[in-house]
Amino acid sequence: MIRVHRSHIGRETRVAWAITVKDMRTYYTRPPSIMFGILFPFSLFLSFSIGRNIPLASQIPVLISQTLFFSSSSIGPVVIPSERANQTFDRFLTSPVSLLSILMGKTMAGIIYGAGISIIPVLVGAAFFGSTIVNLGALLACFALSSFAFSALGIMFASIPGQTPGQVMMPLNFFRIPLLFISGVYTPILELPTSMQMVALISPLTHTVELARYALGEGVFFGPLLNIAILSAYAAVFLFMGIRFHIMNQRKE
Amino acid sequence: MEDAIEVAELTKYYGDLLAVNHISFDVEQGEIFGFLGPNGAGKTTTIRMLTGVSTPTEGAARIMGYDIQRQPIEAKEQMGIVPDVSNVYSELSAWDNLVFTGKLYDMPRTFRESRAEELLEMFGLYDRRGEKVQGFSRGMKRRICIAMALMNRASILFLDEPTSGLDVQSVLIIRDLIRKLNQRGLTIFVTTHNIEEASQICDRVAIINHGKIAAIDTPEKLKRTVRSLQSVEVAFEATPLEALKHLKALPKVSEVVKEGDKFKLFTDDPSSVYSSIWDYAQNNRLRLITINTLGPSLEDVFVKLTGITPATADGNTDQRARGRGKGQISGREKQ
Repeated sequence: MIRVHRSHIGRETRVAWAITVKDMRTYYTRPPSIMFGILFPFSLFLSFSIGRNIPLASQIPVLISQTLFFSSSSIGPVVIPSERANQTFDRFLTSPVSLLSILMGKTMAGIIYGAGISIIPVLVGAAFFGSTIVNLGALLACFALSSFAFSALGIMFASIPGQTPGQVMMPLNFFRIPLLFISGVYTPILELPTSMQMVALISPLTHTVELARYALGEGVFFGPLLNIAILSAYAAVFLFMGIRFHIMNQRKE
Repeated sequence: MEDAIEVAELTKYYGDLLAVNHISFDVEQGEIFGFLGPNGAGKTTTIRMLTGVSTPTEGAARIMGYDIQRQPIEAKEQMGIVPDVSNVYSELSAWDNLVFTGKLYDMPRTFRESRAEELLEMFGLYDRRGEKVQGFSRGMKRRICIAMALMNRASILFLDEPTSGLDVQSVLIIRDLIRKLNQRGLTIFVTTHNIEEASQICDRVAIINHGKIAAIDTPEKLKRTVRSLQSVEVAFEATPLEALKHLKALPKVSEVVKEGDKFKLFTDDPSSVYSSIWDYAQNNRLRLITINTLGPSLEDVFVKLTGITPATADGNTDQRARGRGKGQISGREKQ
């Protein structure tokens, strides 16, 4: 038996990263990842943007936000049910590593996927539609916190004991799609009635859209500090809930 | 020397269904311990609790002295696991599967690569190390799965139905491997519903049925507990149509089972039955090809202890006959 006397945190981090790299190699090019993580947000964006009398440059923050939202939250629901179906998820549970590190490894795969794909609209906006990054820090915070929160959201939903991505994507979409309509994506929050503004406040997507708009020099309603605080809180809550649900599954299995 | 596995009152409920019912047993270091039972008896549930996949409802298990619930990292460092399904990463190569397993155990790079090389050579897969596992046969995937379980040089190897569904060559390779690993000091916990396999390789066997342990002992001692299941096996050169009926009518015969071209007559007095068969053959001008007196098999013990009957097994066929022929017993319950 091998005993490796290295720091506990260092060990957990290395194992989590190994899980991330394995998931990146194995699942990024799977059809459900491409469909739900790339085609879905882009087609939604096009269907709601084409024909509207709005300059495309001002739509770039919306595209960034939608891409972060859908791409980051799609990896967990693709990876975990697939691994549950071929029992490779059990491999992690029988390894000498904590559940937190296992789920952090998987969350990181979603973060990298979501953030990586969401760079495309930033580059396209800058190259073809004249959008300018006026606050790089806000954009980085938007990418880091949003991809973390939404990836953790996907991991949390992936605790639903299904064995195909569709079994998790369906309930996840019941949650994701309504958020598009209450988060100031298609209608600016300023134009919403007060009651809807309160609803928008509790949606994590609102704060992604706001941060992206702020980073690209557009007007915002809640402000970046509140956006960062709420996105951070959601990231922690989704991760915590994901861990709790996976522990509950272990009790049931 | 402390036990490799200590199980105390381990219990698992699925809702209202009691899958494992307060089982307790110990496995000594260096032992091959068989966990035998029909499908749905609780074997896989037990192994999942012992390996940390599933949380017990009640009870505790210690692996090399470490509590699997309270000290899961230390306990899991001691074990290698081969589940009932070969859970390899099909999209990765054989090499990458082993190296990734090494990473899960945080083995240093040079160590995990040399171990992966050693295991691939040991399993005859080194030449195919760069190929994706999805193109491998079932037997090859099983070997990769076992190699992955051996990456961390565990003290205890858990094998859940290791030879189920494999071709004869793969079965022989895996049984031989289990013996060799055990000779090197590895403790082996193997679940199976293949009674012949358990009898051949295990030092001790626990028979589990309906979530409860019915018996634990060495295969030979278990066989001695059911002397009433002695039998006489006979084959005739030409078998008359009425032979089964006539043999059942012989004195002191409790049951007759036809196995291929042979008949197995169960009795607690083999010598008397032996004489009766001889008389029957003489009177009917039948020529005997084979006549043997047999002790009870582990399967007979299993059937007696689990109470499996034709009705519980299949409804309308003779389960004992089928089971004896194949060395396997199947129940109907949920696995």
